[in-house]
Amino acid sequence: MLYGEIPPTLGNCTSLETLGLAYCRLNGTIPPQLGNLRQLKLLTLQNNSLSGPIPDQLAQCTRIQVISLNDNMLEGEIPSFIGEFSALKTLNLANNYLKGEIPADIGNVRSLNHLYLFGNRLTGNIPYELNQLSQLQILDASSNNLSGPMNISPDHLISLEFLVISSNFLQGEIPKDFCSRNSSLHNLFLAGNQLTGTINGLLSCTSLQSLDLSNNSLTGSIPHAIDQLTELVNLALHNNSLTGPIPHQIGNLTNLEILSLYHNHLTDSIPVEIGKLKRLALLFLYENQMSGTIPEELTNCTSLQEVDFFGNHFSGTIPDQIGNLKNLIVLQLRENDLSGPIPPSLGYCNSLQQLALADNSLTGSLPDTFGFLTELNLITLYNNSLAGDLPRSLLGLKNLSIINLSHNKFSGTVEPLTGSDLLTVFDLTNNSFSGQIPLELFKSRNLSRIRLGHNQLTGPIPSQVGLLHQLVSLDLSDNDLTGEMPLSLSNCKGLTHLLLNGNRLSGYIPSWVFRDLVSLGELDLSSNNFSGDIPKEIGNCSALIKLSLYNNKLTGPIPVEITKLTLLNVLNLQKNKLSGPVPPEIQQCKKLYELRLSENLLTGPIPSELSSLTELQVILDLSYNDLSGQIPDTLGNLLKLERLNLSFNQLQGALPDSLVRLTSLHRLNLSSNLLQGEIPLALSSFPQNSFSGNNLCGVPMGPCSDPPVSKGKHLSKAEVEGIIVAIVLVSAIVCVALMYIMARIWSNWREVSVSTSDCEESNSKRWVGNGDKIQASKYRKLGPTSTRVGSSEEKHSWGSDTSVLRMKNDAAC
Amino acid sequence: MASSSLLISLASCLLFLALSPALASNSEGEALCAFKSRLSDPNNVLQSWDQSLVNPCTWFHVTCDSQNRVIRLDLGNSNITGTLGPELGRLQHLQYLELYRNSFMGKIPEELGNLKNLVSMDLYENQLEGEIPKSLSKLKSLRFMRLNNNKLTGSIPRELVTLSNLKVLDFSNNDLCGTIPVDGPFSTFPPESFENNKRLNGPELLGLASYDFGC
Repeated sequence: MLYGEIPPTLGNCTSLETLGLAYCRLNGTIPPQLGNLRQLKLLTLQNNSLSGPIPDQLAQCTRIQVISLNDNMLEGEIPSFIGEFSALKTLNLANNYLKGEIPADIGNVRSLNHLYLFGNRLTGNIPYELNQLSQLQILDASSNNLSGPMNISPDHLISLEFLVISSNFLQGEIPKDFCSRNSSLHNLFLAGNQLTGTINGLLSCTSLQSLDLSNNSLTGSIPHAIDQLTELVNLALHNNSLTGPIPHQIGNLTNLEILSLYHNHLTDSIPVEIGKLKRLALLFLYENQMSGTIPEELTNCTSLQEVDFFGNHFSGTIPDQIGNLKNLIVLQLRENDLSGPIPPSLGYCNSLQQLALADNSLTGSLPDTFGFLTELNLITLYNNSLAGDLPRSLLGLKNLSIINLSHNKFSGTVEPLTGSDLLTVFDLTNNSFSGQIPLELFKSRNLSRIRLGHNQLTGPIPSQVGLLHQLVSLDLSDNDLTGEMPLSLSNCKGLTHLLLNGNRLSGYIPSWVFRDLVSLGELDLSSNNFSGDIPKEIGNCSALIKLSLYNNKLTGPIPVEITKLTLLNVLNLQKNKLSGPVPPEIQQCKKLYELRLSENLLTGPIPSELSSLTELQVILDLSYNDLSGQIPDTLGNLLKLERLNLSFNQLQGALPDSLVRLTSLHRLNLSSNLLQGEIPLALSSFPQNSFSGNNLCGVPMGPCSDPPVSKGKHLSKAEVEGIIVAIVLVSAIVCVALMYIMARIWSNWREVSVSTSDCEESNSKRWVGNGDKIQASKYRKLGPTSTRVGSSEEKHSWGSDTSVLRMKNDAAC
Repeated sequence: MASSSLLISLASCLLFLALSPALASNSEGEALCAFKSRLSDPNNVLQSWDQSLVNPCTWFHVTCDSQNRVIRLDLGNSNITGTLGPELGRLQHLQYLELYRNSFMGKIPEELGNLKNLVSMDLYENQLEGEIPKSLSKLKSLRFMRLNNNKLTGSIPRELVTLSNLKVLDFSNNDLCGTIPVDGPFSTFPPESFENNKRLNGPELLGLASYDFGC
């Protein structure tokens, strides 16, 4: 194969008529000396790695008939001297890096038959002058950045057979009477532009065989007169905004092989005339708003290979005679309102490779005849109401790769589905399958997903699961599985999802889970009978995002290694027998939005470091433990927290003021602790049971026995001092007065009776004792609120017997 | 030669036929994949987003309810660059849109107003620009709206005063202008929710200054 640059000396071969160096490995630029080849008729340099511009000197090759420079890396603009090549028949500049506009001068090359400009970076409008090219048969300018209106008119381009301007930015409507009566336009591809309006202008193009207007913004309905396009073989109108029904005249397009109308706003039912389309191979109606039943007549379209009605509102049953479609390879009816049983005749569509009936309301059981679908590699029936045992005949389906029967009511054993050893996806979630997990399943060594959750499977997890080295997802949750986790599972090193929750699995959580399954992003072992400690190796699983060990019999501490799981979003260790402290290092799990450690035997304080978990949002649940100490003041940093549950612990002290910063909080439970003092006003909108079982006062609980102490905070220092001085003075006066009165009474009593002196002594002792008692009980009642606020107590305790007594004692001393 | 390039061009035009739609995924999965296609994800946090699955409920950072409908999207703090697209508005059941602390650029799509179940919109600490769309006033379930630390401009849409469930709002550290509404839930938001918007002029004075005063 030739490589290197084109030698400029080639320009000396001035008699050269043909220069063909295509499909080589030439690089460098096109030498300007080629302009000396005045006799040149054919210049074919396509499929090389030529770069640089098309040299101006080529303008001298005025006899040229064919220029093929496609599939290179040419840059610059299309030279306008091409307009002077009066003998040029073929110009192919496709798949280069050409930019700028298409020169209007090309319109002068009346001899031009083929013009290929696709796959460049051309911009601007399509020059109207191109309409002068009456010999032009093929125009392909697709995959550029052309804009403006559809300037090309086959009305003028009477020889035009292929017009391809897909994947540009053309705007505006398709001109009325786009084609002339004698138009020879066979293929019109305008897909992937920004065309608007209706398609009615094309009805004049009666010679059209392929029409692709997909991926535009066309509106209006499919015209009844569509049957004027009697030659039509391929019709693609998908990804537009077409409305209305499919006209029954579609049945007159008897040459039609491809009808692609998906992703529009089509309504109404499929016309029964569709049954006349004996050549129809592909029928794509998905993602419309069509309704009605699927007409039995469709089963007359015996050439059908692919049928896709996904995402409509088709109702009724699947046609009984669907088995007539012997060529059917794909049947996709997902997301409709189909009901009734699956017709047994479907089993006679023995070319069928993909069968998708999911998201309907189908009932009944799978017909025995399904055993004939030996080509089937995909069957998805999820979200129906299919029931009953699976027919044994399914064991004959040796090509199955993807099985999804999830969310139905199937029962019995899953064994009939294990005939294939090519399985990759096996999803039977949420049925009533029973029996053990069949060992035959593990013949399919390429299985990547096994999902058997929400069934009634029994027995152990087979150790053969370890043969599945491709396994990514294993979901056996909510069954009745017993035994321990098989050691062989440690071979499934690619596992990202391991869900074994809701079974009766027992034994220790093996440390290899965390040593070998380091790709795990989700691990759910909750609601089993696992016991023992949480292995320290847990820190290796640093990809874990969700970890749930909820509702087991786990003991020992929360391993500090858990704090290495810095990607964790959800950590649920609720309802175990974990003891020891909440590790303060948990602050490293910065992405936690849900943290549940409730219903354990955790002790010690709530670490103030929890306040670093600023993404906590769903819940922070530490309830039903033995946590003690105060609620850390820093908890107020959890600005996004919506639920906080600290109930049923031994927490003491007052509610920290910072809690009022938890503005996102809408559920709060602090009940049944030893909390004291006044509830901050900002929390008063929570109900009583948020606070009950403590010594808390203030709204919504009962009023605090003192006048609200918090008012004191607003007094200035001078006022406080003034009040203290006043209290001291008044107390002193009162004391002096009392002493005086008592002294008088005392002397009176002495005068009256001498025998009561013993009583008086004990009396005065009792006073002091009482005073202490009252004082103590008062402190217990008000708690740290009053001590914390300090001097305010003296300010507002004028009526309080404790202070008076204390003053009195002080004064007495 | 000419016919060979004709074949090439025909092949490219008929490419649509090769795309078998038989595995068309559900609309929420498609919407999320369309969103993913806008994003640069150097940390591969979206690696598990495999559209061949029947729904996106096993994808990481996506949470579904029991009926397999997407209710949470958690991509906060994930070193993602890109734009938000209209497809996010198709996540009909989404309650939590957590895209904070990334490098999302461009505008907040007005289609986010279609998320009628949205409880929390956390777009804070990104590079979002343009105006806060009026359509967000359709988010009747919204309780938390944190758009702080972006480059948002324009005035605060008055329509937002109708969001009666809104409890927390943070528009601080943007480039908003005009005055701050005082009606509806806005009567409860502290000044800090609006601070560091140089051209925002304090609470609106009814009849004295128009809402876009200074814009």
